[in-house]
Amino acid sequence: MEFRLSAEQELFKRMVREFCEKNIEPRSREMDDKEEGIPDELIQGLADLGVFGIMIPEKYGGSAPEGEEMTYANIAIQELGRAEMSMALPVYTLLCLGWGFLITKYGTEQLKEEVLPRVAAGEYFVGIATTEPGGGSDIANIQTSGVHKDGKFTVNGEKVYISGVLESIKQREGGHITLIRTDPDAGHRGFTFIFIPAKLPGVSYSTFEDIGRMALSTGGLVYKDVEVPEYYLLGEVNRGFYLNMEGFNLARILVSSACVGMTEKALEISRDYVKQRVLFGRPLAKFEGISFEIADDHAKLEQIKLYLQYTAWAADTLYKEPDFITQRELSRMVSICKMTAPKLGAEITQRCMTHLGAFSYTKDCPLGRGLRGILSYVVGAEGGYHIQKLIIAREFIGDEAVPYR
Amino acid sequence: MNIIVCMKQVIDLEQIRIKPNTREPVIEGLPLLFGDFEKCALEEAIRIKEVHGGKVTALAVGSPKLRDTIKEALAMGADEAIILIDPIFQDSDAMGSARVLARTIEKVGEYDLILLGDSSADEYSGEIPPRIAELLNLPQVGFVREIEVVADNDQMSEPKKIRVARDMEDSLEVIEVDLPAVIGVTSELNTPRLAPLSAILKASRKPMHEWRSDDIGVTAEEVGARASVVEMLSNLAPIQDRKGIIYQDVEEGVIEVIKALQQEGVLTQ
Repeated sequence: MEFRLSAEQELFKRMVREFCEKNIEPRSREMDDKEEGIPDELIQGLADLGVFGIMIPEKYGGSAPEGEEMTYANIAIQELGRAEMSMALPVYTLLCLGWGFLITKYGTEQLKEEVLPRVAAGEYFVGIATTEPGGGSDIANIQTSGVHKDGKFTVNGEKVYISGVLESIKQREGGHITLIRTDPDAGHRGFTFIFIPAKLPGVSYSTFEDIGRMALSTGGLVYKDVEVPEYYLLGEVNRGFYLNMEGFNLARILVSSACVGMTEKALEISRDYVKQRVLFGRPLAKFEGISFEIADDHAKLEQIKLYLQYTAWAADTLYKEPDFITQRELSRMVSICKMTAPKLGAEITQRCMTHLGAFSYTKDCPLGRGLRGILSYVVGAEGGYHIQKLIIAREFIGDEAVPYR
Repeated sequence: MNIIVCMKQVIDLEQIRIKPNTREPVIEGLPLLFGDFEKCALEEAIRIKEVHGGKVTALAVGSPKLRDTIKEALAMGADEAIILIDPIFQDSDAMGSARVLARTIEKVGEYDLILLGDSSADEYSGEIPPRIAELLNLPQVGFVREIEVVADNDQMSEPKKIRVARDMEDSLEVIEVDLPAVIGVTSELNTPRLAPLSAILKASRKPMHEWRSDDIGVTAEEVGARASVVEMLSNLAPIQDRKGIIYQDVEEGVIEVIKALQQEGVLTQ
């Protein structure tokens, strides 16, 4: 049993932290205020460090630490969460990492050669498009259709609450791994996963006005007779549901990483503040009402951080030893992370704000950005809070606890 | 050009806390890293190599933790590393440390340039570059913030000289030095690169040699605590004195405070 990070992992963590503290943190407020996306030079700097290539083999321009990809990704995304507390940049990055990994694992050779080197170089965004106006949590109800004929899929339908819409169309280039129904009568066995570049003819978009993570766009994508070449297929036709679940496992781990990183920073801000802020003649830290709250929160955060590291390791191990555990067993672990990290993080950040008082309610203090950002992962984004409970209940209690069977 | 870079692992200075009542620094358990000065020296060595070819060897003396720390030097671009780990090196004074480094450099044998931080970030004695130079009978320049390799007219042969700018605070002194030479650098020299993931993963595949006192022929009489002639009497943070100036006149007070803030660089005009 080995709990510590290797020398290489520690070094990578320090390199990412140095880059983030020097380049990203000083611009985090500006990014949130301007709402114009993530500056290119920050993405470029992270790509130069190899962050966008963590899940991509050297052959396709990446620098994957083979067999330790998720462990490294967890490290990097936590650091990004610390530096950019609204979590626009961490989420942009983790989507590229998590869903990029799925392309690495299941993409056709042509798709991998076309997309992966550009993802590793930070030029190309990869996101996920599952949710529709009719539902996201209830995936079996997905309506967007794809007709597979003459070497292409013709796609019609609509996706909503999709991250990275402007990034993949206007600001940079990119596309989304998209869940489409290819067999209307086969239930969850009738879904296919294909990559759809956002600039393909027939794709149109709209954007939503979010309340947080303002440097990352969210919007809707409409597909009208979009012709997607066959080589954009991931895995096999009608096996998309399973790949989607596998991808969620990866992305949910990394969403938890972003939340843990942000929350860790929030607690440090609070810790530093209560040591120097004097009230009634002594530092705030001398009041147990404050110090015990911080101690409790630190303890809870340390627990989920360790469990998250364990889950990232389990995901890595599963790819090395396919009979280590099942994807469903991994889902249980991942959902424990995704259920806990955003909600706990939101609660802790809110408590930190009460320690800093009125200053925390100004834009000069990053805690407000953190709270607005992390709420996105409580309410949804890679599966909402209650869906995680449903998965945990399904795996721990059994099918008796499943409402859809 | 073969360049040897001497590097020292020091505690992470950003994590040092000062005990408020005793002013003692709390340094136990802090991570060991290379300081900024040695990273600038290594960065410069790599840049010279990128233009003029040759080999960069990172050299460091320290605790067993060095086996991990040295990977940063290899990931940044050193071709090879030599680490010296031996209990008898512990608690050396500057002379002892210089002796270990000089003997190691003698054993390596082939070198054109020795680069190192002018001082270390922790003790800041500034003694190591001149002492190594003396032991090896080489020319030495300290406080160097610019280095230029002087190309020979005959482009085919190895450069035999460098031109360096030495920081004299109010002026820069430009000096030509014959190689081989010892150069102590300051952090103004360059901005050290961050090692990318691909290089980090390949670092442990580069040659790394671990030597002990026997390998370089030094004895416990020459280095370490026994040979040390320097005794540290006290190591405390300075007392932070508040000036406690009271201005009776508000107008005058405001003007003086603004002046003081401008002097400190807090306010700009």
